[in-house]
Amino acid sequence: MKTLKSIFVAVMTAMCFTSCTYNKLVEQEEVVNQKWADVQTQYQRRADLIPNLVNTVKGYAAHESETLEAVVAARTKATQITIDPANATPEQIAAFQEAQGEVSQALGRLLAITEAYPDLKANEQFSELQAQLEGTENRIAEARRQYNEAVQTYNVNVRKFPNNIWAMIFSFEKKTPFAAEAGAEKAPEVQF
Amino acid sequence: MRLRITILCMILVAALHAATYTPESLPIPYLQDKSQYVSNPDGILSQEAVDSLNLWLGEMEKAHGVQTVLAVVEHIEGGDTYEFCMALGRKYGIGSKEQNTGLIILLSTGDRAYYILTGRGLEGTLPDAICKRIENRQMLPALREGDWDEAMLATVRAITRYVDGDTSLVGTSDFDDEDDTIALMFFVAFMALGIGLIFFAIWLEQRRKSYCPSCHQYKMKKISSYTTKNKRLGIRTHHDTYRCSHCYFTKEQHWDEDLHSGTGAAAAGGALGGSFFGGGGRSFGGSFGGSFGGGSFGGGGAGGRF
Repeated sequence: MKTLKSIFVAVMTAMCFTSCTYNKLVEQEEVVNQKWADVQTQYQRRADLIPNLVNTVKGYAAHESETLEAVVAARTKATQITIDPANATPEQIAAFQEAQGEVSQALGRLLAITEAYPDLKANEQFSELQAQLEGTENRIAEARRQYNEAVQTYNVNVRKFPNNIWAMIFSFEKKTPFAAEAGAEKAPEVQF
Repeated sequence: MRLRITILCMILVAALHAATYTPESLPIPYLQDKSQYVSNPDGILSQEAVDSLNLWLGEMEKAHGVQTVLAVVEHIEGGDTYEFCMALGRKYGIGSKEQNTGLIILLSTGDRAYYILTGRGLEGTLPDAICKRIENRQMLPALREGDWDEAMLATVRAITRYVDGDTSLVGTSDFDDEDDTIALMFFVAFMALGIGLIFFAIWLEQRRKSYCPSCHQYKMKKISSYTTKNKRLGIRTHHDTYRCSHCYFTKEQHWDEDLHSGTGAAAAGGALGGSFFGGGGRSFGGSFGGSFGGGSFGGGGAGGRF
């Protein structure tokens, strides 16, 4: 009778630990998904700003069409890639990051050429659009930082012993954070 | 002479060092006094400007729950106003947790840079473009002339207009000074009631002792008393003699004091009193300094250089 009782206690304890781990992992995975949604929202916000920006610049610098088209093309390419965070592979994340990085670079070039147009720089609408763009770049950086933080917390928990056993049983997999890019993700510097 | 030079050098180094701030080293007067929103450690703004700004920002928090930190410094470490504001926001969690309406306005005169950082909940009221417009129209003209007072006053005036226009923002209910006064009054009233009850109990006890069973008057007085001690039982016996001043009826009373439980009761009483006063003191002290609600910043706002 005594052994039966101790076995019962052991089983209950094990189940308790399992459910704790499982619930924790579910919670943390949801946080990661939420942060990923934030990142995508901010990228979408930037994509929405681009047509307006391009049109404003066009009015002052129509013959810079090559740079303008590069921005539009990069935007079109980047908006086609959407990722479901629940089963995103590292390759998908890398592709998403690369496409968005191209948009950043194209925008950087566009903002660089606007330096040559004093009329455009004096335009209040342009100035405000630029501020919105800068703010969005900042938001993207912040959202990515928070996503990476959430991924790190989750990954540490998935790999820790004994959580890794339960993670394996319930197929919780390691998630991929954003890799830091050399300069491409930095908000465009604006000098007045 | 050498000592004097050394001291002079140290003061100079300290002064130079103090003019460059990190998010950690920037003083936040709001934490000590919740009517102080402006951090002006280098004395760049005039006292009149600081007073006006504190007044307006106080009204804005009261009416709309927008919690502001306005800092004007000579230099910030690294010179990046956005990063500085974000670090400040992360460190203190400026703005309420429910509304996320924190606001940080930073001007670094030495770096010739400024930033208006909006909390997540303020991004709709003060979009980036509006922040930029306020900076371009209100702040920049004054900054170019080096009129720091006017730059900040005009900026806050403009921000107030936008915030006033947004009816969705809810003011802080527990911000009212009246609440503190009421809390203080309740505290004092309870204290008075407690002390009064204690005195009443003492008075009742005295009256009971002075009751004369012979003439039914409250005229009994203690005329002598002595104690005997029984070490084996741990008891001290008090022998008190009372005499009525009206009818000269005399009564002797004996009562035992348990030496062990007596000290125990005294210790318990002390602990109770201590915790009561400790609790009261804490809630009282908290009403003077302000506290930040844990708001978060997503990177909204706009800045620039001049």
